[in-house]
Amino acid sequence: MNPQADLGIFLVSVCAGLIGSLAGVGGGILVIPALTTFFGVDIHLAVGASIVSVIATSSGAASAYVRDRMTDMRLGMFLELATTTGAVCGALIAAYVAPALLYLLLGIVVLMSAGMQASRLGEEIPAAEPDGIAARLRLSGTYPDRHLGREIPYAARRVPAGFLLMWLAGAVSGLLGIGSGVLKVLAMDGAMRLPMKVSSATSNFMIGVTAAASAGIYIGRGDVDPRIAGPVALGVLAGALTGARILHRISNRSVRIVFLPVLIAVGLEMIGRAAGLSV
Amino acid sequence: MNAERFRLMVSAILLVGVSASAALIAVGFAAALAIGWQGSLTGATVPAPLPQPTDFGGLLDRLGRLEPLAISQLGLVVLLATPVMRVASSVVGFALERDRLYTAITIAVLAVLLLSIFAVR
Repeated sequence: MNPQADLGIFLVSVCAGLIGSLAGVGGGILVIPALTTFFGVDIHLAVGASIVSVIATSSGAASAYVRDRMTDMRLGMFLELATTTGAVCGALIAAYVAPALLYLLLGIVVLMSAGMQASRLGEEIPAAEPDGIAARLRLSGTYPDRHLGREIPYAARRVPAGFLLMWLAGAVSGLLGIGSGVLKVLAMDGAMRLPMKVSSATSNFMIGVTAAASAGIYIGRGDVDPRIAGPVALGVLAGALTGARILHRISNRSVRIVFLPVLIAVGLEMIGRAAGLSV
Repeated sequence: MNAERFRLMVSAILLVGVSASAALIAVGFAAALAIGWQGSLTGATVPAPLPQPTDFGGLLDRLGRLEPLAISQLGLVVLLATPVMRVASSVVGFALERDRLYTAITIAVLAVLLLSIFAVR
């Protein structure tokens, strides 16, 4: 054992949990490169640890977000119908799809949505009128915003588009084995026009289920090593529980400011992988 | 069950899951610092071949010998099971709220989730 390295992995994971819990993503984008670059961890074990980190971020942060009414559980459950079926379909067709092309397409989509995010940086609260389908599915509610000091009503719009995007996010997870928290936030914030904090908290709620669906596969393959995944889980949990205490105090704008660099990093990482796979 | 109690139940399940997991992982780590990953806290002899860290097989036997590795592995399994427990408990929650639509949606999610864990390889 090397306690210094364990402590280092723990501290990096605290950061990943903190950022992940605020941005609604799993923190794999930070955990995987840190483990492979600084701690010399094999890429397969790093990916296995990242799956663990997604579940830890999700469950840790969601325990607070659900209690504080930041997560919309109906919305989350309804959209999990899309992500879980998408993930199964993605896993089934994985053998027939060229990952390089998929990474390239996703990278471009993600970077384009970064532009969209930047232009929406100043927006605090979108309109709160549910459209027909959202009303029938009761996809509306209020969340307590401590930054603004009041209850904020919100409602989902364009439910079919959001559902389709979530299905694609699930399919991408199944195909590429990534958590796709970024795509989930984009579907809720961009397509369904939900407040950023609700999007982030509900994405956090959902990514654990997406990751749990494939976690068994990673354990079976021997990609989960407790000597690495253990400190990652502990660090991420500490970070996520801390982040979850911060989210309702900060503005939606601040959440976007945390989310935007994550988005750009994920987009660049995907294009990088596409380039690496095609050579 | 009203919406408030439902939320608190789901929140509590998530918190219990992550706390139990963190405690097991930490205990396994502390024990490994003391006696190494492949020892036994009960003093039992660990049968050859020594377990590999990434091999989750025979977990129950190895837990019986209180092997540090097995304790940490159990912590990770508890963590991975937490989202599944959250979905399963939501089925009960929506059913008690008499919300048929969302009970059905949640049962479907649980079914697909279990399918993907146990059937898709």
